[in-house]
Amino acid sequence: MASRLLTRSTAARLLSHLRFSRALNPSDHLPAHGAGLATLLAPGRGLPAAAKPCPTRDPTRWFSSPAAVAEAPTTADGLTVDSIAGKGWTILPEAESDWRSHAAAVAQSVKLIKKRLKWGWILERSRQLSVVLERPDLWDDTVFAGKVSREHGELMGKIKSVNQFEQELMEHIDMLRLAREEDDNELETETMRALADMRRSAKEKELNALLSGNNDSFSCFIEVQAGAGGTESMDWAAMVMNMYRSWAQQRGYTVTIVEEMPGEVAGIKRATIKVDGEYAFGYAKAEVGVHRLVRISPFDSGKRRHTSFAAVAVIPILGDSSTRYQIKDSDLRIERFRSGGPGGQHANCTESAVRIVHIPTGITATCQNERSQHMNKASAMAVLQSRLDQLEIARQAQMNADHTQSLSEISWGNQIRSYVLHPYRMVKDLRTNYEVSDPDSVLNGELDDFILNFLSTSLDEADGSP
Amino acid sequence: MLASASASASFLPRPKPKPHLLKRLASALTPPSPLSPSTGADPDPDQDPTPLFLRPPAHPVPAPSLAAFRRRAAALVPPSAPHLHRHLRWLLADAAHDPDADPALLRAPLGDLEALWLRHVRDRRPFQYVVGNEHWRDLVVAVREGVLIPRPETEAVVEMVGRVEGFEAGWWTDLGTGSGAIAVAVARMLGPEGKVFATDVSEVAIEVARLNVQRYGMQDKVQIRHGSWFEPLEDLKGKFMGVISNPPYIPTDDLPGLQPEVGWHEPKLALDGGKDGLDHLLHLCEGLSSVLKPGGFFVFETNGNKQSEFLVDFLSTKWDSSFHDVEAVLDFADIKRFVTGYRR
Ligand SMILES: C[S@@+](CC[C@H](N)C(=O)[O-])C[C@H]1O[C@@H](n2cnc3c(N)ncnc32)[C@H](O)[C@@H]1O
Repeated sequence: MASRLLTRSTAARLLSHLRFSRALNPSDHLPAHGAGLATLLAPGRGLPAAAKPCPTRDPTRWFSSPAAVAEAPTTADGLTVDSIAGKGWTILPEAESDWRSHAAAVAQSVKLIKKRLKWGWILERSRQLSVVLERPDLWDDTVFAGKVSREHGELMGKIKSVNQFEQELMEHIDMLRLAREEDDNELETETMRALADMRRSAKEKELNALLSGNNDSFSCFIEVQAGAGGTESMDWAAMVMNMYRSWAQQRGYTVTIVEEMPGEVAGIKRATIKVDGEYAFGYAKAEVGVHRLVRISPFDSGKRRHTSFAAVAVIPILGDSSTRYQIKDSDLRIERFRSGGPGGQHANCTESAVRIVHIPTGITATCQNERSQHMNKASAMAVLQSRLDQLEIARQAQMNADHTQSLSEISWGNQIRSYVLHPYRMVKDLRTNYEVSDPDSVLNGELDDFILNFLSTSLDEADGSP
Repeated sequence: MLASASASASFLPRPKPKPHLLKRLASALTPPSPLSPSTGADPDPDQDPTPLFLRPPAHPVPAPSLAAFRRRAAALVPPSAPHLHRHLRWLLADAAHDPDADPALLRAPLGDLEALWLRHVRDRRPFQYVVGNEHWRDLVVAVREGVLIPRPETEAVVEMVGRVEGFEAGWWTDLGTGSGAIAVAVARMLGPEGKVFATDVSEVAIEVARLNVQRYGMQDKVQIRHGSWFEPLEDLKGKFMGVISNPPYIPTDDLPGLQPEVGWHEPKLALDGGKDGLDHLLHLCEGLSSVLKPGGFFVFETNGNKQSEFLVDFLSTKWDSSFHDVEAVLDFADIKRFVTGYRR
C-alpha cells in the first residue's frame, strides 16, 4: 500500500511539473491535452485527440532545487514548530494545564497538516507561480493568467493560514512565559486556555487538510454497478447506492438520481447519482473500488450464504471550464433510450431518456430522471463531460493522485471493503483494517469514519515530504 | 373558459373500460373512491380550468393521510405499467407544495386527487392532463384537454431555428401552435427585434397558448392569432424569416389504432391529417413561398420516413424554383421526422 501511494504522489508531483513546464510556453498550454505520461496508459483508452509530445524537461531539476521555505515563526528564544515537536515533550490530556503538552500537541498537528498539504511541494509551486505572475506578457492570455493567479492565490491562502497558526502558537508560548515571569495569574490562565483551544482547532485543521487535493472541493457523480451473480448482486448494488444516498443526505449534500438501470427481479444493474456540495468528491473518492457482501440470501429458498460484489466509481464534476475536455458536437450521437413505435403525434410517453454516445471513445451517458427530453439530454451531457474529463485526467497521468478509476477500469479483484451479515456481523475496510461491528449503521450511511480513516492513512503513510 | 362541449366533441369515441377491471381497481381503493361509478360520462373531478400545478396550495393534509393515499394509489399500479409509479411521484410533486411536509399543503382536496389518479389509471387519461402540464425543453408548459400535449421529438425544432443565421432578429411564425410550446421556446431565444406570430384554429389552443406566453412573460414577443393556417397572416406576407409547423399528420385510418392516452383523450383536430396524413402539410407547402422572405427558412414535423421523403421529393421537384437545400432531418430514434429548407 505504502509503496503504491508513494508512486501515486510522486507521479502527481511529476505530472504537475509537466503541466507546469508546458504552461510556461504559452503557445503550447491550451488545450492541455498532450502529456508525456500518456505512454503509461493501457492501449486504446486514450482520447483520440492528437497527443502532442510534451517537451519533458528533466524532472529532477524540479525536486533538487532547494525549497525557498518561508521564514518559520519562532518564539523569543528561538523555538519553532519543528524544534518543539522534536523535544519529545509528553502529550497529556487536554484538561491538564501543561503548556509543554499543549504546545507539543499543536506542533505535531502542524507537522501532520503540513504533510497532508504536501508542504514542500506547495511552497515550491507557489514560488514558481510567483515568477510566472511577474511576466509582463502574462495577461496576453487571460485564461492562462486567470488559472495561474487563481492557483497561486489558493496556495498562498493555505500557506498563510498554516503560518498564522504557527505564529499564534509561538505568541502564546511567549505570552505564557511572560505571565509566569510577571506572576500574572490571570494572564497565565487565559493563555493556557488559548493553548488548549488551539489543540482543538488543530484537530479540525488536520481533518480539513485531508481534503486538499486539486478536485476535492468539487461535487461529484457516484456510480454503482452490480457484479456477477444476478439478482443477488443487483440487490447488493441497490443497497450500496442507498448507503451513499443516505450518507450524502446526512452530510447535507443534494442528491439527484441521474440514471438507473433496474434489475429484472430486484435491485439495480447500475446507477448514477449526482452529489452536489462542497468537498463531495474529496470524501466520496475514498469509496472507489469493489464492495463485497456476505449474507444469507433473501432470494435463495435454500437459505444459503452468498457473496455478492458491487463496484463503485466516483467522478469529480470539474468547476473550471478551461481545464475541461472540449467535446465536439460532430463527435456525438444522441439516441432515444427506449425507441420503438412511430413516435411523434402517435405516442404519449412520459419517459424521455436519451443516451449520448461520444463516438471516438465509445463513452456513453444516459439520464432518465428528468421530466423533459431536453433536460435529460442536458444531464446526460454533464455526465458525459465528467466521464471525458476523467478520462483526460487519466490520459495525462494514470497514477495521478487526482485520478479515480472509472467503472470500466476497476478490476473486480480490487476489493476495498467487506460487509459481513452472516455468520458474524462486521464491516471491515481492507485498506485500513478499520472495522465496525454494526453493519446496519454503515448501510444507513454512517461512512465518515471509514472515509476519514482511509484518507488519513493514504496521506499520512505516503512519503509526502519532498 | 374551457369550451368543454367543443373540446369533447373533438375527442374520438372513448371505449369504456372493461367492467371486471374496474371492479378490481375499485376494490383496491380503501376507503372506496369518492367517485360515482364510471358511466362513461364521469363528473369531471377537474372542473377548475386552472391547471392543477398552478392552483394555490390551500388544502392541508396530515402526512399519514397522504402516505395512505400514496399506498392506495401505488396499489392501483398494475405490474405491466411500472411507469405509473413515476407518475405518482410527479403527481405528488405537482400537487403538493412540499409533499414531505406535515401537514402537506395540496393544490386540490385529497379526494379530488384520488379521483384524478383513478381516472389516470383507469381511463388512461394522459398524465399531463391530470397535472395540467408537460415538461418540455426547459419549460413547464401548461396543457389541458382540447390541446395537444407537446411531444419530446418536437423539442428539436427549436434547436433547428437556433441554427439559422441571424434568427434572433427575425420574425417567425408557428402555425398550429397548440399549447404555444414552440412559440414560447423560440421567443425566449430571440433578440429585441425578433417576434413570433402563433396561429391556431382551435379556441382552446389559443387560450392555453396565451396562458403559456404570459407565464413566461413573452407577451411582447409572441402575438397569438386565431384562424386557419396562413389566413390570419394576410398582412404579413413576405415578412417571415421562418415558418415552423407541427400540423396534424396522422392518416385518418390510423386514428382508431392510437394508444388510448392519445386516441381517447387528445383532440382529433390536432392529430388528423386526412387520408394520407398529408392534407395540412401539403397546404402548408403551398403557402410557404408567399409568407417567407427570400432566403427564409422552414421546418415541418411529419409522421416520419415516408411523409418526409415524399415532401422532400415534392418540394425539390415541383417547387424546385422556389426552394433549396430541402432535406429530411432525423429525430433521436433515427426516424426522418422533420423536413427543412430555405426559400430561394
Ligand atoms: C399536432 S398539434 C401541434 C401543436 C403544437 N404546435 C405542438 O407542437 O405541440 C397541431 C395543431 O394544429 C392546429 N390546427 C389544426 N387545424 C388547423 C388549421 N386549419 N389551422 C390552424 N391550426 C390548425 C390544432 O389545433 C393543433 O393545435
